[in-house]
Amino acid sequence: MSALLQVAGVTKRFRGLVAVADVSLDVQQGEIFAVIGPNGAGKTTLFNIIAGVYRPDTGSVSFDGRRIDGQTQEAVCQAGIARTFQIVRPFPALTVFENVLIGALLRAPDLVAARSISGETLRLLGLWERRNQKASALTLPDRKCLEVARALATAPRLVLLDEVMAGLRPTETDRMVAILRSLNREQGVTILLIEHVMRAVMALAGRIHVLHHGATIAQGTPQEVTQDPHVIESYLGAEAPI
Amino acid sequence: MIAGLIAATPRRALVLLGLLLAALIAAPLVLDRYLVSVLILVLWFAYVGQAWNVMMGFAGLLSLGHALYVGLGAYITAGLFVRLGIGPLAGLPVAMAAAVAVGGAIGWLGFRFRIEGVYFALLTIAFAEVTRIAFDHLAWTGGAAGLFLPVSAETSGAWWNLRGGPLLFYYLALGLAAGAFVLCAILRHSPLGYRWLAVREDAEAARALGIDVFRARMAAVTISAALTSVGGVFYAFYYNNLFPGQTFDISRSIEMILGPIVGGLGTLFGPILGAFILTPLGEGLIALTEKAGINAPGAKAVFYGACLMTIVTMAPNGLWPALKKRLGIAGEEA
Repeated sequence: MSALLQVAGVTKRFRGLVAVADVSLDVQQGEIFAVIGPNGAGKTTLFNIIAGVYRPDTGSVSFDGRRIDGQTQEAVCQAGIARTFQIVRPFPALTVFENVLIGALLRAPDLVAARSISGETLRLLGLWERRNQKASALTLPDRKCLEVARALATAPRLVLLDEVMAGLRPTETDRMVAILRSLNREQGVTILLIEHVMRAVMALAGRIHVLHHGATIAQGTPQEVTQDPHVIESYLGAEAPI
Repeated sequence: MIAGLIAATPRRALVLLGLLLAALIAAPLVLDRYLVSVLILVLWFAYVGQAWNVMMGFAGLLSLGHALYVGLGAYITAGLFVRLGIGPLAGLPVAMAAAVAVGGAIGWLGFRFRIEGVYFALLTIAFAEVTRIAFDHLAWTGGAAGLFLPVSAETSGAWWNLRGGPLLFYYLALGLAAGAFVLCAILRHSPLGYRWLAVREDAEAARALGIDVFRARMAAVTISAALTSVGGVFYAFYYNNLFPGQTFDISRSIEMILGPIVGGLGTLFGPILGAFILTPLGEGLIALTEKAGINAPGAKAVFYGACLMTIVTMAPNGLWPALKKRLGIAGEEA
């Protein structure tokens, strides 16, 4: 069986700087896959290549067997990949409900259907009570939830989550982990996440891919990765044996 | 669609809207000719303000050259009427098609080459100015010397050729303003309307939700241009004379957009409210200075400038959102 998302030998340079160097990874249908690495490792650049923001200099990205590298962001989303932004970008002057409704309109046949999808998604993310608030009035954790809700409303097969746990308190992190896990198990949404919060990564990811200076240094199950000497040295910290 | 919209609107707002419409329908019975002519202006600015608001208020595209579409609508229908004897009803689709083509060309240039924000506004000014100069030299429409429509006796006018008295134009303007309001209400609450809001708020985030930003913007420009050109047709047949220097002038573009800004950008009632506030005050000021024997041609512009400054500092979202709360109909997104 071929992978849902296949990144093959992708390299991206910004002038002289190599942001992503020959990275390959496969995300299987139904799994939760994490990309970790120190700041500046090229994680968000990799995400932006998958999401259609950047065109890779070399290599290819395929989704469900079709090449998507070089396509526009909207085409990638229409193909079934939704993403969140590391720095959240809700539509500030619109209500929480309208924010999610706009996501739902991508696949809903009409407004009535889109409204009901939005309602379900908001309840799932615990934002239903805040549906009539302006997005600009939300707290950061709620804005992160809204970002996820809006992406999910597009009914994606794969979601790219860019540090949705950053800035959340431990209890909020646990709630988000529970939401993502139930999404993955009950609705079969495949998840690719970039994350710094190792507690969340360990709780969620089936497989982890570690980037450092744009290059792959390890890949495997959480146990394998956390015992990898390269990973410990460059990311987890040499002085903290696990 | 309309039924759903009405159901979603608070009853109080519907009653107020109905009362306003009834008052406007009855207004010519009690008002003298001068006041009716002021109301015609008010309704005209409400109409073109609504049309401009589709671009700026809904899709976040600043056009400072909307006089271009007024001028195209005016000159094309007037030219066809005067030169070829083709009536305005037949000329209207031609005018709208031309406005859509020109608006589409400006939009394509702007959005294809990522000319955004202020630079896009400059592009709209440039096109309006170039067209003004072109019409100054176009002999077929009279050039700078102007184009004049045949004026028949008002009462024997052929209404289907928009020949008639103030009442004809009053109810026509009322119909346009009311129609544009309903059309914009439908658009605003349609899937396209929500896509516009998304693009206005954050184009990048909109793309990430699968929205084709280019298409959404093109739709806004072409719809706005087509609607505005209809205002131009009205303008030509109401005033019966056209001069490129007046019709395409940037001061007209600015005057058209003040109403929606004062009333509330992106709101449905803002353009109407803004027109009702600014136009009578502006006209009153002219009447007042004339009576006082002061020759102050720039007074209206200075006054509008002061209004704009007051609004931007005191109520940057416009007057309608605040007034809406006072009227107790704050629930509606309109």
